[in-house]
Amino acid sequence: MKDRLLPYWLLIPAFMIVLATTIYPLAYSFITSFRAWDLTKSRRPEGFVGIDNYIYATGESQFLNSLWVTFIFVITSVILTVILAMALALLLRRKGPMHTFTRIILILPFAMSPALIGVSYRFMFNPEFGVIANGLGAVFPALQGVPWLADPQLAMGILVLTDVWHWTPYMTFMCLGGLASIPRETEEAARIDGASNLRIIFGIILPQMRGVILVMAVLKTIFALKMFDQVVTLTGGGPGTSTETLAYFIFNVGFRWFDMGYASALAWILTAIMMFISIWYVRMLLSERKMATA
Amino acid sequence: MAEVRLVDIEKKYGAFLAVPQQSLTIHDGEFLVLLGPSGCGKTTTMRMIAGLEDITSGDIMIKGERVNDKPPKDRDIAMVFQNYGLYPHMTVRQNIEYPLKLRGVDKATRKARVQETAAKVELDALLDRRPSELSGGQRQRVALARAIVRTPSIFLMDEPLSNLDAKLRVTMRAELKHLHHELGVTTVYVTHDQMEAMTLANRVAVMREGRIVQLDTPKKIYAEPADLFVAGFIGSPSMNLIDGVVKGGVFRADGVEIPVPLGDRDGVVLGIRPEEIDITQDAGAPISGKLYALELTGESTLVTLRNGPSSVCARGHADFEAEIDSPCYLAPKDEARIHLFDRASGERLG
Repeated sequence: MKDRLLPYWLLIPAFMIVLATTIYPLAYSFITSFRAWDLTKSRRPEGFVGIDNYIYATGESQFLNSLWVTFIFVITSVILTVILAMALALLLRRKGPMHTFTRIILILPFAMSPALIGVSYRFMFNPEFGVIANGLGAVFPALQGVPWLADPQLAMGILVLTDVWHWTPYMTFMCLGGLASIPRETEEAARIDGASNLRIIFGIILPQMRGVILVMAVLKTIFALKMFDQVVTLTGGGPGTSTETLAYFIFNVGFRWFDMGYASALAWILTAIMMFISIWYVRMLLSERKMATA
Repeated sequence: MAEVRLVDIEKKYGAFLAVPQQSLTIHDGEFLVLLGPSGCGKTTTMRMIAGLEDITSGDIMIKGERVNDKPPKDRDIAMVFQNYGLYPHMTVRQNIEYPLKLRGVDKATRKARVQETAAKVELDALLDRRPSELSGGQRQRVALARAIVRTPSIFLMDEPLSNLDAKLRVTMRAELKHLHHELGVTTVYVTHDQMEAMTLANRVAVMREGRIVQLDTPKKIYAEPADLFVAGFIGSPSMNLIDGVVKGGVFRADGVEIPVPLGDRDGVVLGIRPEEIDITQDAGAPISGKLYALELTGESTLVTLRNGPSSVCARGHADFEAEIDSPCYLAPKDEARIHLFDRASGERLG
């Protein structure tokens, strides 16, 4: 009897930690999302307001703007990262003389802190002393003095660029893993059958990479939906609210305007979006596996 | 004329010499098997013919034309791989159709050719399945169908049966043999299985450490192995190879005294196949020792005799029975079928 209960006793400390750090805050925020709570007025949540916070969100322009910004950011950064990672992996999969060195260099961007990346790019795109801004100005005179981070479109572009730069190495390694699992014979058979290099990539390799690409796209989507650090350190959500992502907007609502009830509701909207994508991803993956093992 | 000529070809990987300089001609319509143990360079040689591997020096001629710089698709070859090399995301039909599609064959012709080819390898009922839904034998048939669908001049087959179970291998072997008879296409076949080589080939090239050590018909290779390596490699069970000396026209080893047409010398290996030995009751027989093992194979019994370091296996009647460790006597059936080799060089003597 004692022996049978022992594993459960041993699990209790870990369970307590998870309860304290994950389950309790989640449950608390969920309950808070149905309450009014102005942190400047009260240290505890105030009365229940039902789904008012959620209804308010559907009509609030700033929330809708942050949703749109996040959508644009996610779509562009996911597409660019996946394409770039796949292209790099195709280039790097053959072992060359600089094989190990290239791979070490490649992992460096991923090893950097996102906040630091934001700061670095902010400096590099400074129109007065930024190395990229000046470099581009020197090569293309028309670009001299362009206020890179003061223009809504350019600021969004640079935000996407920093994210792609940060994530591409990791995704490249995922692609390399996927490519390594493709039997060499399929490619060679296609070569003998008469396929060109492009046809081999698009007709033979990429279809076999479907599962890996799907995992990459979903993981990247979830990470992009949570985009926060670089927004804080690179653009501060600006100019105006042009780069204000949902995560950054939630932060502002909660910790600048101290409307904790509304911020909690927004956080749960973001969670719901991510859960929806995750469920869809698991279902796709399962059907993919079913197809592969049928 | 789909003749393949390898002229002084050589393959190096950095400093490592995988295939030393050699030449080989594969005649039109011939079924040539490259046979040898793992790492002997047979697959590399085939991959060089396919154009999947660059050659370091020499020339590859297909139908009289130098193809060194031609990509695989322009060599008019088709290849069947050990691991099938099927496209997993395509159905059987799409797999077979793919080479035709790449060559711009119109849809109606493609459809007809796929049907015709699938019927030839009995795949008609499986055309809409994916490779993952097929058994090993069926997958290999898809690979064959994909190879024959565009009627290439040369088939290259890289150990196509080695992933199949023993029974299926025998069935597929017969199918391959029949297919070659039907199509008459020049075929180069790589295997490490000497049984496959013997049963399929018009000629066998036995390879060792990148070199072709003997190139001949299966019958000749079996009856007259060029050296000790070939003698030991071909045949199942393999040839008895007994270390000894020749004195006074007699080969001597522990329990073995066999007259041979050779002058006195040390370091001689006598080779004799198990089926060339009789089991006798004669105590004065040339080979004597104690019965070490009896193995019933179904159609015969393998009788192994030991005397000191000498061990001799004979193929006896399926009904043969005797006590282990009892005295046992063997005699060569025909002295002309005895092979002698130099132990140091491995070369055939006499």
